[in-house]
Amino acid sequence: MSDEKVYILPCSGIGKVFGSIGREAAYIVVDELAKDKTKLECLPLVVKGKKEIIETLKANKVIVIDGCPMRCSYNDITEAVGKVDAQFMSTDIVKERRDLKPEKQIIPMGENAKKLSLILAEKIASKVNELLEENRGGDE
Amino acid sequence: MSVKPKIGIIACSGENEIGGTLSRAAARIVVEKLRPDNTVILCQPLFMAGGLERHGGQEERDFAKTHPTITIEGCQEECAKIAVSNYSGPPAATIHVQEIMEKYPELQPESKRELGVAGMKLAKKIAEKIAQKVDELYNI
Repeated sequence: MSDEKVYILPCSGIGKVFGSIGREAAYIVVDELAKDKTKLECLPLVVKGKKEIIETLKANKVIVIDGCPMRCSYNDITEAVGKVDAQFMSTDIVKERRDLKPEKQIIPMGENAKKLSLILAEKIASKVNELLEENRGGDE
Repeated sequence: MSVKPKIGIIACSGENEIGGTLSRAAARIVVEKLRPDNTVILCQPLFMAGGLERHGGQEERDFAKTHPTITIEGCQEECAKIAVSNYSGPPAATIHVQEIMEKYPELQPESKRELGVAGMKLAKKIAEKIAQKVDELYNI
């Protein structure tokens, strides 16, 4: 098993359900779909300037997940780390799947919001594999 | 009768410690159930977001300049307090989740992803502490 990880940083905003969909998707990826290939990292600590975390993110692939057009996670990571390797917006999934209107309730999340999280997670897990392939290609 | 301004609640958006999850659950309980007429959620990622001046989204920071705020910290790093202090001025109060966790060792959350029954009871205890602080601020 490789030590190589893709780091996942959701915005985890709680003003609306979209941040929670992104967060749940991140956990599905890290705990289930790409368990040994990914790791969750703490966005506030990056913004705070924690050197060891920033250096780790610079040396690895990074995926950000945002829940609104302010794209806090994308902007924060770009500013602190200098790069983002892939970005996802939970609102894009909501637009793609209008049949699954997310419930407003955040704690606990509703059934549609959970289904949307899984759909988003599957897309993220696929991107994880692509990024790791890129890395292997670069090493050859 | 004068209308008192709403109090902004800013929870940690971190994912490294269980305290982050508890802080967000407690914030939602306060705003949705315990003090819905006196409080509003402010999104912590938006406080920290890099380049907000360039792409909009100043509302949270502006609100916190003119309204009292309570930050809820998931760990000793105090990221929420630092973010609010940097962009809007010092919060009126800060709640440290870990201090409340230590008072209720029997209430062990399941995981960062899912708090479970005991974890939600603990979140309610934290929410009650926040609500108490809201009342104190209103009585000033």
